Amino acid sequence: MIILQILVNGFLLGGFYTLIGVGFTLVWGVTNIINLAHGAIALLGAYITYFIFQYWHIDPFISLPVSFLSMFLFGYILQRYLMNLVVKAQIFMLLILTFGLEIFLVNFMTTFFSADFKSVTPDYAGSSLVLGDIVIPYIRLGVFMICVVVTLIMGFFLDRTWTGKAIKATSLDIEAAMMSGINPSKIYALTFAFGSGLAGLSGSLLSLTQAFSPNIAGGLTLRAFIVSILGGLGRIEGAFLGGIILGIVETMSSYVIGESYKNAIAFGLMVLMLIIKPSGLLGRKYYAEVKH
Amino acid sequence: MLNRKFFFFLAFLFILVLLPFVISGYWLRVLTQTFLFAAIATGSNIIIGYTGYPAFGNIAFFGVGAYVTGVLMTKYQMGFLATMPFCALSGIILAALLGIPILRLKGHYFAIATVGIMETIRELVDNMTELTGGGLGLTLPIMQGEPEFIYKYFYFAMLICLVFALLVSFIVSKIKLGYALKAIRVDEDAASVMGINTPLYKTAAWAVSAAIVGVCGGIYAYWLSYIDPHTVFVGTYSVKMFAMILLGGGTTVIGPMLGAFILELISEVVWSKFIAIHGMVLGLLIIFIILFLPKGLFETFKGGFSFKKLLSNLRENKL
Repeated sequence: MIILQILVNGFLLGGFYTLIGVGFTLVWGVTNIINLAHGAIALLGAYITYFIFQYWHIDPFISLPVSFLSMFLFGYILQRYLMNLVVKAQIFMLLILTFGLEIFLVNFMTTFFSADFKSVTPDYAGSSLVLGDIVIPYIRLGVFMICVVVTLIMGFFLDRTWTGKAIKATSLDIEAAMMSGINPSKIYALTFAFGSGLAGLSGSLLSLTQAFSPNIAGGLTLRAFIVSILGGLGRIEGAFLGGIILGIVETMSSYVIGESYKNAIAFGLMVLMLIIKPSGLLGRKYYAEVKH
Repeated sequence: MLNRKFFFFLAFLFILVLLPFVISGYWLRVLTQTFLFAAIATGSNIIIGYTGYPAFGNIAFFGVGAYVTGVLMTKYQMGFLATMPFCALSGIILAALLGIPILRLKGHYFAIATVGIMETIRELVDNMTELTGGGLGLTLPIMQGEPEFIYKYFYFAMLICLVFALLVSFIVSKIKLGYALKAIRVDEDAASVMGINTPLYKTAAWAVSAAIVGVCGGIYAYWLSYIDPHTVFVGTYSVKMFAMILLGGGTTVIGPMLGAFILELISEVVWSKFIAIHGMVLGLLIIFIILFLPKGLFETFKGGFSFKKLLSNLRENKL
C-alpha cells in the first residue's frame, strides 16, 4: 500500500510542478527567453502571501489573487522595459541577463527578508483526508486543485480568447503576427506577465506546503525547466504531463534510492530527455525553434 | 601590430611578476582570485567564444578538478604538483564522454544540459561520503611555511596557470582546430559540408577548455585548503565567467582575461564598500553589461569612448 501513497504524493507534488512549469514553458515557447529568475519571482509571490498572513492574518488561499496580480504587473514592466531591449540578442545574452536578475532578486530578498526559512501555517495545516491507508493533507489537496484549475484556465485562455490566440500566433511567426496587427512587444510583455503571475501564484502555494528561503530559487527554476523539457515547450498539456512525471519520479526515487539522490535523478532524467528527444514528449517541431 | 600587442602583454606580465614584492597581503589575495577567474574565463572561452557553445555549467570541471586534487592529496598522499596532470585529465575524460551526446544540442538546450550535468555531479559528490567527505567537505593538508611565502606561492601558481591558459588559447586560435571552431561558430552545417568533422572538433575544444578549468579547480582547492560541494560547484561563478567573457570580447585571446580583471576589481571595490548589498550590485552590473556592452568593452569603444555608442548598442537588439 505504501506504493499507492507514494504515487498519490507524487501526483500532488506534480500538480505544483505543473503550475510552476506552465509559466516557464509559456515564456520560453513564445518569447524564446529562458527565464532563470522564474524561481526568484515565485519566491516573491511566496513572501507576499507570507507577509499578508503574518500582518493581517488573511487566509493564504484568499490572498492568492494579490500575489498573482502583483507579480503579473512586475513581469509586465520587466519585459516591456528591460527584456524587450535585448530580446533579439544572442540567446546566451538573455540567459545571463535573467541570471543577473535572479542574483539581484535573491540578494534583495536575503537582505530585506533575511535568509531564514519561513512558512505559512494556517489553523487547518495539520488536518488531512484519510481514505483507507492513504493520507492526503487538505492543504496539499487544495493546492493540487488550484494548480489544475489554473492550468486549465490558462489553456482555455490561450485557445479561446483573442489575446491568447495572439500570443500563440506571435510564437509561431512573429512577422506574420505583426502583419495582422499584433504588437509583438505588447504580446511579449503580456506573455512574460502571465509567466511571472503564474510563478508568483505557485510560490504562494509553495509557502503553504513547505518552508522556503531565498536560497531555494535556483532549485525551483530548475524544476520548472525540467517540466518544460519533459513536456515540450510552450505547451500547456506538455507542462501538465511533465509536472506529473517529475513529481512521481521524484517521490518514487526518494523512496527507492534515497532522498539525497532526488536532484541527481531529476537532472539525469532531464539530460536523458534532452539527448533522446530534445523537443519533449509532446513538443512539436515549430515551437521553440531558434528564431533568431 | 601583433608585435606591439605582444610587447604590451610582456610588460604587463613583468609588472605582475614584480607586484607581489611591493603590495600587501590583501591585494595579493585579490589578484590571486582575479587570476583564477581570468584563467577560468580564458579556458572556457575556447568552447564559449571560439566555438559558440554556451557551456553554462563549465564550472562542473572546476569542481571536479578541485575534488581530484583534494582526494588524491588526502586519500593517496600525493604531492600538490603531482595532482595537476590528473586534474587536467579528469576534465578531458569527462568532457570527451559527455561531449558525444551533449554537444549535439544547441543553444539553450546545450546551456541547460551543462547546468544539469553540473548539478548532477555536485549531487553525486555530495553523496560519495567515503571518498569525498560529502556535505562535511574535505580538508586538504595545509601548506608548510611562512604566510608570506604561501601567499606568494599561490599568486605565482595562479599566474602561471593563467599564462598557460592564455598560451593554450593562443595556440588553439592559430592551428587548424581554431579555424575549424570558427567555422563551426559561424555556420555549423556549412562547416560540416566543407569536410570538418564537427563532433570531433567540438569535443576537442570542450576537452581543452575542461582541462584548463580543471587545473584551476585543483589549485583553488589547495589554496582554500577546504572544499565542500557548495564552494566548488557554484552557479554564480558560471555567470561571472560569462560576464567576463562578454565584457572583454569572446572571440579574442586576451579579451576574457581583461574582462576578468575589470569585473573582479570592480567587484572587489564594491565588496569592500557595500558588503551588505554586494550581491545586488553584482546582479545589476551583469544586467548593465548585457544591456549596454553586449559586444564587449573593446569592440564597442574601438574609436574612443562616447555615450552614443552605448545607446546604439542598446537599440540594436530591441524588439
